[in-house]
Amino acid sequence: MMQTAFNSFLVALLIIPAVTLLCRRNRGTRVLPSLLLLLALLAGTVVAGFSFWRGDRLALDLSWATPFPFALTVDRLSAFFLLLICAVGVPVTLFSTSYVERHYSGAKADWMWALLPLFLLSMALVVTASTAFAFLFGWELMTLFSAGLIIIDGASERRRHNIFIYLVMMHAGAAAVIASFFLFLPHANSLDFISMRAAAASMPLGLRTAIFLLSFVGFGTKAGIVPFHLWLPKAHPIAPSPVSALMSAVMLKTAIYGFIRFTFDFLGGGPTWWGYLVLLTGAVTGLLGILYALTEHDLKRLLAYSSVENIGIIYLGLGAALVFMANNSPVWATLALVAALMHALNHSLFKSLLFLGAGAIADATHTLDIELLGGLLKRMRVTGTVFLIGCCSIIGLPLFNGFVGEWMLFRSFIEGAELPGISSAIILPLMAGVLALIGGIAAACFAKLYGIAFLGRARSVEAEHATEVATSMQVAMALLAAACVALGILPGLVLIPLMALGQELMHSPALPEAALPISHTLPLIAACVCVVIILVAGIRRIKRVTPTWACGLPALDSRMQYSSAAFSKPLRKVFSRVYEADRTVDVVYEQEPYFPKSIVYRSVRTTSFEKSLYRPAVDAIVGMAARLRRLQTGNMQVYLLYIFLALITLLVFMRFA
Amino acid sequence: MNPAIDVIQALLLIAIAPLVRGVIARIKARIQNRRGASVLRPYADLLKLFRKQDLVADTASGLFRLAPVILFAVTVTAAVFVPVLHSSALFGLGGDFILFVYLLAVGKFFLMLGAMDGGSSFGGMGASREALVSALAEAPLLLALTSVAILTHTISLSGIVLATVQQYPLHLSAVYVFALGAMVLVAIAETGRVPVDNPATHLELTMLHEAMVLEYSGPSLALIEWASAIKLTLILALLVAVFAPWGMATGASIVGLVLALGAFSLKLAVSAIAIAVIESSIAKLRMYLVPDFLGMASALAILAVAFTALMR
Repeated sequence: MMQTAFNSFLVALLIIPAVTLLCRRNRGTRVLPSLLLLLALLAGTVVAGFSFWRGDRLALDLSWATPFPFALTVDRLSAFFLLLICAVGVPVTLFSTSYVERHYSGAKADWMWALLPLFLLSMALVVTASTAFAFLFGWELMTLFSAGLIIIDGASERRRHNIFIYLVMMHAGAAAVIASFFLFLPHANSLDFISMRAAAASMPLGLRTAIFLLSFVGFGTKAGIVPFHLWLPKAHPIAPSPVSALMSAVMLKTAIYGFIRFTFDFLGGGPTWWGYLVLLTGAVTGLLGILYALTEHDLKRLLAYSSVENIGIIYLGLGAALVFMANNSPVWATLALVAALMHALNHSLFKSLLFLGAGAIADATHTLDIELLGGLLKRMRVTGTVFLIGCCSIIGLPLFNGFVGEWMLFRSFIEGAELPGISSAIILPLMAGVLALIGGIAAACFAKLYGIAFLGRARSVEAEHATEVATSMQVAMALLAAACVALGILPGLVLIPLMALGQELMHSPALPEAALPISHTLPLIAACVCVVIILVAGIRRIKRVTPTWACGLPALDSRMQYSSAAFSKPLRKVFSRVYEADRTVDVVYEQEPYFPKSIVYRSVRTTSFEKSLYRPAVDAIVGMAARLRRLQTGNMQVYLLYIFLALITLLVFMRFA
Repeated sequence: MNPAIDVIQALLLIAIAPLVRGVIARIKARIQNRRGASVLRPYADLLKLFRKQDLVADTASGLFRLAPVILFAVTVTAAVFVPVLHSSALFGLGGDFILFVYLLAVGKFFLMLGAMDGGSSFGGMGASREALVSALAEAPLLLALTSVAILTHTISLSGIVLATVQQYPLHLSAVYVFALGAMVLVAIAETGRVPVDNPATHLELTMLHEAMVLEYSGPSLALIEWASAIKLTLILALLVAVFAPWGMATGASIVGLVLALGAFSLKLAVSAIAIAVIESSIAKLRMYLVPDFLGMASALAILAVAFTALMR
């Protein structure tokens, strides 16, 4: 039954593009692709949910149709990530129906509905593949389809440059992933996951470390860990909003899946330093991600950097799990891994909500620059409310879902103090401080974002005349917001199967009992807060609307409000070493030195991995290529000489080898 | 019997919060050679504000009036976490210090948003500075509590208090010294006292908390003022509970509880005097020295955590 549903889910995603092309002429059937996609994703959600909850295995072998072994298997880990893809896919599709209608027509709309299901299918392929070929097939298609979806919005010089960087980095990452697959070959008789798992047990430590490092870099590039995060703030903001939502919320998680599959499932953990490496990377990624996000004014770039931060938090959990594993503490390793998975799920919910919210704002105001927004909550009540829920979730406030994962992370870090090794016992608890610092800066960042964009006075005519977006968009965002609140108050809904998943992966003898009470405490706290709110709401508060106090001046205007740049200034000053800002002030005078006509102030962050890390590497490669060019003279005789020399060398080699 | 005590001690914290403020103000007045207002003055202020109209800026949205309610609700909920009279609290077992700290963060976040909804530059200024202080204060607070939690092998506040109260006072670990230092510095920053913020000022160069609430009036302002008084009392009670819990009742006898109430009042009075003396004897720090102040707290907290591993 479930198997049939799973098969038809895959087939449906595959045929929707064809349906799109067939139905495009007829106005009446234009909604058919979106309806089919919704149905397929709902079916996928149910299948993945059941399989995740009960731990059923599903399998599909397609090797008869392909030149290489091509098989899909859904185990609990796969089911979790498949659930994430489908569950986020449903509201995103719902949002897209109005989005496509309002923004695209003709061929562009067709491309959108043709590529969207294929993009989702490629991600489903990645998380369910059980052979190297199927995995890599899905992995490559995922990159290409997402690039195709970005191009729908136009291909200007600047956009092409950004897409180029995205594709180059993705392929460099894919090369590392392919290499890590091939390193299994000397010990595994075939590249299906079962024999790879068996082979990993008999490998020498050096080879295991090589596989670990390659998969760390390969999947890390896709996930966006520092210093491989470069493509995220370039590719995510230029994609259509529903696609940015999918890329940030779901596509990044396929990399987390790959890393878990390799490091925890195949290799079964390793020496403690693996854990420290992942932990340190997570800490740096989290801190830099949120510090960069703090300075952004472009809504989608800010959200992209915040994805970098959240990936850092997930890596903190994965690193802690590796450290616990290396110290023979599988119970707490389970908790740390569950914390990472929980945060992955939560991030995909609130980040897709926020990206869809960004799409709604762009739809209503035609800008994503928050310095031009303001006062949107009054004009877009639903969007404003759900966006607030998204902000509360992303900074990890209790009673919203982001808190649950972070709480479990804190819990496992504190437990690190019980480990026998003195370095682990110091480093893990200190990570609690890092996580708290990340959380504190995130709160500042999202208070800024929400306060500037949704509260106060409108800063532009567009923002002043914004109206609420289409109903289907509202419903899509409200669904995600409801999920954020539900999981924040009742985390037990997913915690129980997640614990089972963690226990399976870690071969843990017991569940981390100490972390379970959280699922009872949160509903109690929610009840307590609600009771107090109801009591306080009973207090008589007579409202009288007055102008904002203007220190006795006639009136305030929107330019007198705090701006986004001003809001983040104190924190930017504290962390000035991270930014090393380059400031210029241009003053144009009417009559020097008084009466300036205009003052332009510009402050640019000068530290960048592009300049310090990538530029030298790219220059070296280009320089080497230029030198190699001397071999290419264009002269026929010289080429004949090359061929002759190659032949001689080969003959000599064959004679003596 | 026990849940009743838990509820009573939470209500006690909420009820005496304005009194603590009044006492501090009175002692400060005495140090400055003034007579000062009655210690009950904050109650009169609250009553007066509750009877007034709520003036709402014309730019503000519904969030402006919702923020004080949420701030008050989460602060009251956090009060249910802290053991006062006996070594447990209603949310004592499942409720832990992480939840406690983050519940207070909910209030801060909504107050920042409410401040920015007023549409003047004061609100943004206050919110921006509050964001700075709370972003940097959260890490040392959590780390200091983490070090104590590691020593007592539990993360629930009740568990921490129970483990500490059962120890002989002189056997306490050196970790407590560092943790106490960090916590005191953070407590000053979090409750907006001198030298980080000045609760008595209305000058924009120095304002943090006062700038945020500038646009509020009437019952909304009363809720905010009451909530920040509760927060001050809560954090003092937390310091007392974690670092000097002696005198707390271990059973549910009336005599024990009365003695515990006496001990708690005494400890609270001592900390109020300490705050008044500090506020009267040092000047407020320049805004950009506050990160250094909190950096010192972070260093102490890191030392506290490191020592838990080094000294075991």
